[in-house]
Formats: sequence, structure tokens, C-alpha cells
Amino acid sequence: MRLAERTTHDAGAPAGVPAEPAVHTATRTTHRRRGVNREGLEAGRRSTRALLWVLLAAAMVLYGFPFLYLLFTSFKTPIDTIAVPPTILPREWTLENYTNALGRSGVLASFVNSVQTAIISTVLSLALAVPAAYGITRYKTLSGRIFIMAALVTRMVPPVAIGIPLASMMAGAGLADTPIALSIAHTTISLPLSIWLMSSFFEAVPRDLEEAATVDGCSRLGALWRVVIPVVSGGIAVTAIFAFLASWNEFLFALLMTAIRSQTTPVVIANFQTQFGLDWGSMTALAAVYSIPVILLTLLLQRKIVAGMTLGAVKG
Amino acid sequence: MRISDRRFALFLMTPAALFLAVFVAFPLFRLVADSFFKISPIAGGPRDFVGLDNYFRAFASEAFIGAGWRTLAYTLVVVTLEFTLGLGMALLFTTLGRSSQIWRTVFMYPLMIAPIVAGLLWKFLMIDNFGLIGTLLHQAGILSNPNQIGWLSDPDIVLYSVAIPDIWLTTSFMCLVLFAGLQNIPGDLIEAARLDGARAPALLFRIILPLLRPVIAVALVVRGIDAARAFDTILIQTNGGPQSASETMSLLIYRTMIRFGDPGLASAMGTLYLLAMLAVAFVAVSTIWRPGKDS
Repeated sequence: MRLAERTTHDAGAPAGVPAEPAVHTATRTTHRRRGVNREGLEAGRRSTRALLWVLLAAAMVLYGFPFLYLLFTSFKTPIDTIAVPPTILPREWTLENYTNALGRSGVLASFVNSVQTAIISTVLSLALAVPAAYGITRYKTLSGRIFIMAALVTRMVPPVAIGIPLASMMAGAGLADTPIALSIAHTTISLPLSIWLMSSFFEAVPRDLEEAATVDGCSRLGALWRVVIPVVSGGIAVTAIFAFLASWNEFLFALLMTAIRSQTTPVVIANFQTQFGLDWGSMTALAAVYSIPVILLTLLLQRKIVAGMTLGAVKG
Repeated sequence: MRISDRRFALFLMTPAALFLAVFVAFPLFRLVADSFFKISPIAGGPRDFVGLDNYFRAFASEAFIGAGWRTLAYTLVVVTLEFTLGLGMALLFTTLGRSSQIWRTVFMYPLMIAPIVAGLLWKFLMIDNFGLIGTLLHQAGILSNPNQIGWLSDPDIVLYSVAIPDIWLTTSFMCLVLFAGLQNIPGDLIEAARLDGARAPALLFRIILPLLRPVIAVALVVRGIDAARAFDTILIQTNGGPQSASETMSLLIYRTMIRFGDPGLASAMGTLYLLAMLAVAFVAVSTIWRPGKDS
């Protein structure tokens, strides 16, 4: 089952383009004009559709509510956050929780650490994954097959199993409590995923492209750099988003490998619980500040993210 | 001189392979090696070779066996619910067609939220006294008292309560993957079955699910492995409590290492956990994925 090779029913609609594998072109196929000869699974009858919309609305409310409640809570006064019985909306809207949370020592520094760690890890992950994935997909050697298997198996390793030896290795190398050490640890998570994603993107690039380039006198490395990489730049962007998110949201390695200097925000959020008693107000405010940029990023780049998310699994 | 394609491919893969060897394979080797020693938690403390003693201790400990069963139960609950809900949503989005596209995007938002934040959020919803869920159920007249269900304090149900954030976070993933799979089912096939008089249940169980089998298999394996490694959400909600009732394998290993200061025993548990995961992964990868095969 290969999405990129699917042709669409609509005449003239493009088949999967290499840079953005075909998840959204595929969604186009079931599209028919309203009321006219709906095809496949799309419901036609008016009453059925109305019922389905009601169902969807209910699901969306249930699904969206928890995060909205977090947002509402972050605007309550600190005392109201733990009022019994709780209210959904703040009785009084205030930014007190935000000033409390962001004013606490170490919180702003943790944001800097999170950004720094995620960027280093993303760059490292791409620098290693792009050539490796190209080597695997273009030359189909035995070593490549073994390698991608091994990379996939790494994805199954429980982080807690390697976290502790990895932390002591880093300490031995004099890298304890540094963003470098943590971003290396995060790369162990994102690298297998990046290799997997990039392989799928390279798979969609027609071979003739670099053959033409090599005939024109380009070296293989030159063809990769100047011809292939520009074509898969969309795929590289998707992979970068995933590598970034993997590091941004990671907690266990950050907990094991950082102390004060390089602590990332997820660890700080978790620490609110123990260090300062149950300071729910500040916790919710900090959680909101930490999550909103990535949620906005998702909404902005949703097509690319959907493509990346489904690529690995649907392509068999 | 031009090197052969095979060498060139190897050259491209070497940096990534070295990275994984140094930062994944070597720590794993250390983990396995440590499992044969009795290690003092103090840095530079004594290290005595004890053979398989740590393994015997692991199997003899109720905590380890309990955590194994709990991890299994947790994984099954998470994956089953996620799959059912994700399939339901994917079918809903498919039957509504293109007009529901924007909602599909909105539905995706939990995927970007850090598990630690999700755990915190649900803890806040389920916590005794000022948790909103108990209060709402009480106000709706379903519960006689807001604290009637101790979501996170009743050892009998806590394992299922701590699974909720995990389910909430990744049902979107299931939905996305299944939705993409559904788009691949030829419309003519559904049309033909409809003309033959197939009703919705028959359509679902006789046509859709069998056709989705490969997608379903991959999605279940990916999510199953993630669920079996769950750590963040449980740690922040209950820290494994009450009475270890929500202590899964990751938490037990972490606590054995950090809190109880027994790296040898923790390494033995980690090794066994790893072997179990690899066994599952191996079966899954070799039967379903077959990556790198020629098209």
C-alpha cells in the first residue's frame, strides 16, 4: 500500500508529488460536490450527515475541553485554582499565575535551555539522518537493509534502560548538566525516526534526476547536495519538526541528565509539584506558555505534519 | 579513483551508525554488564561480581512481577481504547468528507503537547476535592459526592485513570493513520458492496477492517511499544502510587535506580524489560514492516 504511487480518480488531479507525499492528494479522491453522487464512504443522506455532525461536535468538545480548562485555570487567581467546588471559568481574570510562574528563578533560563537543546538535537539528527537515509534508499545494499533494521530496533529501546548508563557516560566525558549532553541523548530518540522519515521521502525522488546530474559531470556527493537535497527540502522540514518536537517534549532524559544549569522546562514544570508544594496556578500557566507555541506551529504546518505522521505507518 | 556504489553507501551511513553505536549500543552494553554486579550507589563505591544474582532477585521480587503485569494491562487498555476511539473518529471524518477537514486539524492538537503537561492536566481534572470531573459528575447527579470515585487515590482503578492522558494524547495519531488508510480504500469497492445490499456493520467488518489490516497492524505495534514505555504521564500523576498500584516497569526501574539506589538490580530489570521489548519488536518488524525492501 503506497500512497505516493496512488493515482486519483479525479482527472487532472496530480498524483503524489515527491516533496509532499500524497496524504492530502489522497483526501481529494473522495471529494465530490455536495449532493452529487457521493462516492465511497462519504455519507450522502441529509439526516445521516446531520447526526454525524452532532457526533463530531460532541467529540470535539470532549477532546478540546481539557486544554481549554488548563487555559482557563491559568487565568484564575491562585486561590481560585484550588477552590472547592471548582468552576470552569475564572471568577476573576488575572495574569497573576503567569507573572508568578515566569518570575520564578530558573524558569526563563529553562526556556532558553529547551530551545537550545531542541535546536542542537534537530541539527545533529538531520546531519546524520539525511546522508544515512539517502545511502539506504538509493543503493539498496545489504548493509543498508541491516542498518535501517537496527535503527528501527533502537526505537524499541526503553529510554529508562539507556538513560542511566548514558548519563554516567556523559558525566565521565565532562559533559554532565550541559545542553550538549542532553541534545545528544535526545538525538538517540529522534535519529531513528528521522532516518525512517527521510528514507520515505528519498524513495519518492525519481532516480533519473541524479543520473542526469552525474552524466553532466556532478560527483555523487555533488548530485546529492545540489540536486536531490533541494527536491526533498519539504521532507527535511517535516523531519526537522518531528526532531524538534521530540526534544522539546522529552522529560525522562532531561530529568536524569540535567541538574540546574541545563534544566529544560518540562523538568521545571514537574518540579513545581514537589519543590513548592502544590502550586497549581503557576504550573498551569507555565504549561500553557510551553505548549502554545508548538500547538500554533502545528496548526500552521498541519499539512506537512500530517504527511510525516502518516507516512511511516501507512507506507508498508 | 571512483569508489564503488557499495562503499559510497557505506560512507553515507557511517556517521549515523557510529552515533547509534556509541550512544545507544554502548550504553545498552553497559546496562547488561552492570546487571551482573552488585553496585554501591555511591560514585566510586565497590563493585562486586555476583553472576545472575540480580536476575534471581528480580524474579523473586513481587514488585518486579507486579510491574510486569501492570505494564501489560496498561498497554492493552491504552492500545484498545485508542484504537477504538481513533477508528471511530477516522470513520466519522471519512463519512463527513472534505467539509470536516478543519476539525481534523484541530483534533490533532494533543499530539504536540508534552506528555508531562498532559499528565499534569489530567491530574488536575481527576484529583480529589478540587478535580473538575468528580464535581461535574456530581452536579449532573451521577455521583452522590464529588469524591465518590478516587480516580488517582483508589488502588483498584488508578492504573486505568493514569492511562487516560496517554489515550487522550495519542488517539489523534491512531485517527490520522487510520484516516489515511481509509482514503486508500477504492470507492468503487464500497459502492459495489452497497449495491449488493451490505449494511454498515457488514461494510465495516467484512470490507473496511480487512483492507486496513496492514495499517492497523503497524499502528498497533507503534503505539503498543510507546505505551509499554510510558513514564512521564504516570510519574507526574501518581509517581507509581498509591501502594505501587500504578507502578509500571519504567517507573519501577527508575525508582530502583534513583530512589532505592540499587543500580545492579535496576540494570537486571532493565535488561529483562529490554529483552521483552526487543522480542516483541523483532516479531513485529520481521512480519509487518520489512523496511528497505524493493518495491
